[in-house]
Amino acid sequence: MNEDSTQLSRRNFFKAGTVLASGVAIASALTPYDGLLFAAEAPGAKGKWYGIGIDITKCIGCGKCANACKQENNVPSDPFYFRSWVEQYTIKNDGSILVESPNGGVDGFKQSVPDAEIYKSFFVPKMCNHCAKSPCTQVCPVGATFETEEGIVLVDENYCIGCRYCVQACPYGCRYIHPEKGTADKCTLCFHRLKHGLQPACFEICPTEARIFGDLNDPGSKINYFLKNHTCMVVKPHLNTGSKLFYNALSPEVR
Amino acid sequence: MEDHLQNLYEVLSKIEGYVYPNEIELNWSILIVLYPYITGLVAGAFILASLERIFKIKVLKPTYGIALLTAFSFMLVATMPLVSHLGKPLRAYEIMITPHSSSAMAIFGFVYLWYLMVVLFLEIWFDYRRDMVIWGNESKGVKRFLYKLLSLWTTDISPKAVALDDRIGYIVTVIGIPSAFLLHGYVGFIFGSIKANPWWSTVLMPVIFLFSAMVSGIALVMIIYIVLTKIRKQLLDMDCLDTIAKYLFYILIIDFALEGLDQIHRIYVAEESFEALHALVFGKLFYTLFIYQGLLGTIVPLLTLGTLQFYKPKPQIRKVIYIILPILVLMGIFFMRWNVVIGGQLFSKSFYGYTTFKTGLIGMEGYLMAATWLIIPFLILSFLLWLLPPWRKIETSHE
Amino acid sequence: MPQHIKRLLGVFAIFIVLFLVMRQVLKPSSFGKLGHFRADAIYENTLKPMHYTVADSCTKCHRTIRTEKDKGFHKNLKCEVCHGPGLKHSLFAGQFKVGELPDSLKLNKPGERKDCGVCHQKNAARIKILFDTINTTMVRQIDLAEHNPPDLKANEPANCIDCHNPHQP
Repeated sequence: MNEDSTQLSRRNFFKAGTVLASGVAIASALTPYDGLLFAAEAPGAKGKWYGIGIDITKCIGCGKCANACKQENNVPSDPFYFRSWVEQYTIKNDGSILVESPNGGVDGFKQSVPDAEIYKSFFVPKMCNHCAKSPCTQVCPVGATFETEEGIVLVDENYCIGCRYCVQACPYGCRYIHPEKGTADKCTLCFHRLKHGLQPACFEICPTEARIFGDLNDPGSKINYFLKNHTCMVVKPHLNTGSKLFYNALSPEVR
Repeated sequence: MEDHLQNLYEVLSKIEGYVYPNEIELNWSILIVLYPYITGLVAGAFILASLERIFKIKVLKPTYGIALLTAFSFMLVATMPLVSHLGKPLRAYEIMITPHSSSAMAIFGFVYLWYLMVVLFLEIWFDYRRDMVIWGNESKGVKRFLYKLLSLWTTDISPKAVALDDRIGYIVTVIGIPSAFLLHGYVGFIFGSIKANPWWSTVLMPVIFLFSAMVSGIALVMIIYIVLTKIRKQLLDMDCLDTIAKYLFYILIIDFALEGLDQIHRIYVAEESFEALHALVFGKLFYTLFIYQGLLGTIVPLLTLGTLQFYKPKPQIRKVIYIILPILVLMGIFFMRWNVVIGGQLFSKSFYGYTTFKTGLIGMEGYLMAATWLIIPFLILSFLLWLLPPWRKIETSHE
Repeated sequence: MPQHIKRLLGVFAIFIVLFLVMRQVLKPSSFGKLGHFRADAIYENTLKPMHYTVADSCTKCHRTIRTEKDKGFHKNLKCEVCHGPGLKHSLFAGQFKVGELPDSLKLNKPGERKDCGVCHQKNAARIKILFDTINTTMVRQIDLAEHNPPDLKANEPANCIDCHNPHQP
């Protein structure tokens, strides 16, 4: 009897071991980062899990989003502090790339290159990617920046020590040190508006509806419709930041 | 505040190409150059001291005490550039009470305290306790009180107790070597772990920081030893200096090889960032990287020290060399820190442009502040040398 | 254990205890409840003041403009795109008579060439929209330098809104 039970338990152990090992193998085969697969499947979350989509084909570079962001969030008006900005890419016939963002695009854009010299040109609105594996929250030494369960990266300005490590760690240049507060500041996806059921200001204001925002966990949401029907890409995918800002028609020149 | 903005507008007019708007401001300035510089001096000086104690290189005896006290004085100041550059310096304590385990910077508080209290303090304490008891009995007034306080009013200087002190001190030094490696390798990791920044993000960064730390610490102790001996009107121990120079040479070779490896690797793999970094190195960093760090700070000392291994000129000439070389090396390592910290922020993470470094003389991030944090360790060292003179100690131990 | 080792350990013990006590005292009460951060910070982040409202709140009062706008190309544009953040206006403007609105509640009334040019100035980066998005409203591209240049015809209208009704262009 005793022998039997040990044998049984040993067999169970091997069985469990095999299952466990194959489970690990399968899990590790599935884990590699893939922008869209990842977007459709929030890690274990049941509630809202916000994602952002930007349609570059629709962006007309009016800069209203950058402007609205500054006003809605009281971002300092000097041209060194932006939570949201727009870049104008112009690729010339000779292959050179010109990127411009005068005052972050707040005042709109002018095309400085004559049409005859332009190979192609487009606008890219930039903002916090609200990364799921965000390098900025990873490096914060005191826990003054964090990700909420809805997938929004926030800063605790009453706890931030202003060491600027997060500014260095953000690959997208989306953070700055608030000149008056001395603490890190960044896009909150207008967290104060979300809580009232409103859209973030930049999404609210976009005249061409180039900016889409919604719950990635909800199969019927606008963002899921956008992701399913467009070939989307994130910026700097090789850094594996788990970016949740998806661009339609993103050119490889964009960094 | 106004000055700060004015500075930024001036920088804005000097932007080359395109940088993200938030990147116009250089976030880590001269104070963060000093931070790895000063911690490096600590680690290097300590390694030199442990060469004598652990590896029994007795000819280095005259520098043992100086090296320890130097390490301690610089260690006391090491965090100050960090704290004074914070946007909210009064919140600095948070890093100790809620350290974030995934942050490379958070553990610094503990590594620092471990190294300061458990390694440097204990080693000095056990090394000097017998002397402090004796000196406490001999002196009067404040000095007497200081000795009594520092020795915690202990009196036991029996041979048994002193032997125990020596034994514990030895163990502490043994623990201290990996700790010194940890301390400075770890400072390198703070930069090396930032994957967003290709100029920093390399696994070699901690190792490079470690060896450049040793180089700078050894050079610093060399200068302090020469200056102190001159002030005390004593004779320089040329054997000791020759030996230090020999170790400086060895470690400089390793340091040079590692940095060379890093650069060769970058050039060979030529990743996405390569063109941007190439232009950075030959543009904005040309003087600081090739001339100050490379030529004057590394190649010249390497060649000179290398020559000295085969051909020894007269002591008079060697003395001059031993004063000039460490200064060159110290300058070279300073610019190595500069090239890492400032250089890593001059290019945009979009790889489309460059910003400019500009800081004022005054202000929290200015040159005067930086100079202050470089001078204070020397004041502390002078005080410690007055209180715990290593040369008097040697005399008493021979009585 | 020798006396001096005991004293040394004592000093270290005092420091460690002091540190642990300080840590307990200084650690914010909501820290660590939801993760390695102050849980209260989530709530604090919702307290920021709003400036932009939603389109509906404008048309509650400005009904005629709404009917006008619904017929034109600008029907999908929110009022705040041109007029700027209007939450304060939408909350308090109703208390004042027409013409007595204080400056602090007035909104932008853009109408100069540069204001319309923000979207409509011809730009190679903008033009593609004419080809790519057949189903969405096209954004008309105008070369402001050529389209009725104000300098050449001094008596001619200088601003876009002199000819075009921005609510029904």
